[in-house]
Amino acid sequence: MILARGITKTYRIGPVEINAVDSLDVSIAAGEFLSIVGPSGSGKTTLLHLIGLLDTPTSGSISIDGMEAGDLSAKELTRLRREKIGFVFQEFNLLPVLRARENVELPLRYLKVPAPERYHRAMEALEKVGLGERANNRPGQLSGGEQQRVAIARALVTNPVLVLADEPTGELDTYNTCKVIELMRDLNRETGQTFAIVTHDPMVADYTRRIITLRDGKIASDSAGPEVEMRCDDIR
Amino acid sequence: MFKYVLRNMWRRKARTFLTVFGIVVGIFALTVLGALSARLNQQVKGAETWFTSKISIVASGGGLFGGSDGYLELSKVDEIKAVPGAKSVVAGFGLPLSSEGGGFGSPELIVGADLAEAEDLLNLIDIAEGRILRDGDEGVVVLGSTLADKFEAGVGDGVELRGREFEVVGIYEPTLSAPDSFAFVSYEDTLDLFRAINPYFQVENIAATIDVIPEEGVDANELAARIDEAVDGVKVISPAEAEKQISQFSLIFNAILLGIGFIALVVGGLSIINTMIMSVSERTQEIGLKKAIGAETGSVLAEYLLESALIGFFGGLIGMLLGLLAVYLLNNATASSQVSVFTITTTVVVGPVAFATVLGTAAGLFPALRAARLKPIDALKED
Ligand SMILES: Nc1ncnc2c1ncn2[C@@H]1O[C@H](COP(=O)(O)OP(=O)(O)O)[C@@H](O)[C@H]1O
Ligand SMILES: [Mg+2]
Repeated sequence: MILARGITKTYRIGPVEINAVDSLDVSIAAGEFLSIVGPSGSGKTTLLHLIGLLDTPTSGSISIDGMEAGDLSAKELTRLRREKIGFVFQEFNLLPVLRARENVELPLRYLKVPAPERYHRAMEALEKVGLGERANNRPGQLSGGEQQRVAIARALVTNPVLVLADEPTGELDTYNTCKVIELMRDLNRETGQTFAIVTHDPMVADYTRRIITLRDGKIASDSAGPEVEMRCDDIR
Repeated sequence: MFKYVLRNMWRRKARTFLTVFGIVVGIFALTVLGALSARLNQQVKGAETWFTSKISIVASGGGLFGGSDGYLELSKVDEIKAVPGAKSVVAGFGLPLSSEGGGFGSPELIVGADLAEAEDLLNLIDIAEGRILRDGDEGVVVLGSTLADKFEAGVGDGVELRGREFEVVGIYEPTLSAPDSFAFVSYEDTLDLFRAINPYFQVENIAATIDVIPEEGVDANELAARIDEAVDGVKVISPAEAEKQISQFSLIFNAILLGIGFIALVVGGLSIINTMIMSVSERTQEIGLKKAIGAETGSVLAEYLLESALIGFFGGLIGMLLGLLAVYLLNNATASSQVSVFTITTTVVVGPVAFATVLGTAAGLFPALRAARLKPIDALKED
């Protein structure tokens, strides 16, 4: 599904150049359930943005379903993001003027889903993350953990074939972390959706089938995960 | 999307209102001046038929709208009659209807005409009721439409002009110009009134103006030139010159209007541009998010254009309504003196609102384009 060859992303701050991602090769197949771990500043977010077609590498190439991202126009990239990719941002990026439900509806709006269906699908997604009751609240009225779950609902509502989640459990307690990852794993098993989850929580990584470890923008290790079975109710 | 845009504007109430207010002020001024200019243009158009169908002759130094205290000797009438091409030569004498002097708008005048010659002149305006003055009339008056309304007089009623009772024999159709405020009487009656008011200034055989109607087929402007050459000590105002004076008057006014429109454009435009730039940079992250989850450049663009168009529209609407209110109040305040200063036309109502909306859209275009073209990740990372 995703094939990245020799991708480098260089940031320049004054005279200093940093390779946030450094000649990295990675491939992600359809149906995978993987995690990306590594110390802070190791390039996890940058890599996820590149894979998610939000950013372009300084050098190297990325292809998605056999299409070279570099050959696609901005319009075509927008369409791919809209139709195939769900992104959970590290900072949530919810729109403050919209209610939780309206935030979740937003990607459906851009897919031109009719209003009544949009409403039902958004409510369904919110219920899945345990926020059915908070649908009419605006982000400012929600806790950090609740906002994060709204962001997750927004990424899942379009049933994207590829879900890229940047520390989606960073603000969640152990129980809710477990429930969110369980939801993702169930979707992965039932619908074959691909998940790449950036995390620094070892418990989350242990739930996944493959763990990619980054260090200084390079892959330090890439190995099978234990895929521990979840018992969220025990945690409680 | 509409709802969302409105909500975004509401969230930034203070600034939205400031911007709208800026436009309101400009459009208010534009509306009031528009109504003033509409009234003026109407008046000028009416005046044109009256003043440009005849040649007006005054003592040298005078103009179309007065300005001369000099009178013409009646003997000039015969001199003018001697010039070939003049059909009727009408000696006229006028005095203000009220001793207090005129207010704003057309002066109310008692206009006396030599009735033996005046038929063509008095027929320049259509009669609504009764008849025009004819030779030998005495103590009777034909009223312009505004004066008829003011006196609430019909044919057969008596009206008092400068202390003397006159019988109304006719009422003219409205011309929306100067003659609407005229009371037409005979030359002799006017002179009598003048003598009664100024007992120590016994005038005789003089005229304030002489109006000339050319014979059929004679070019009025050429006739005016011939009179000018043949008769000394007079100022001849040809139809062409009258038109020039009238249009110059409205030209100056329209230029002022245009200037105010331009100020409204600059002030309103800059303030919308400023608001939109701030509003866009404040929401750069939101734009990045929208593009990240698949919003097309076009729909982001449309959202911002809609916002600035709405700001323009609301500003225009409020400004226009306030302008209409001001016009209404001012017209009411002057209603007692039978003078309406403003006219409300479709252009006056629709023009400023359309202008403000277009202005808003145009001003929003630049920041909206910039926002819509940002790369999603650049927009998301900006703060
Ligand atoms: N916009 C940017 N400008 C400059 N440096 C950046 C920018 N984004 C990330 N970096 C740098 O790139 C490196 C990797 O960042 P990031 O991908 O966010 O790491 P992680 O998500 O693993 O914490 C860090 O050193 C960070 O400072
Ligand atoms: Mg990160």
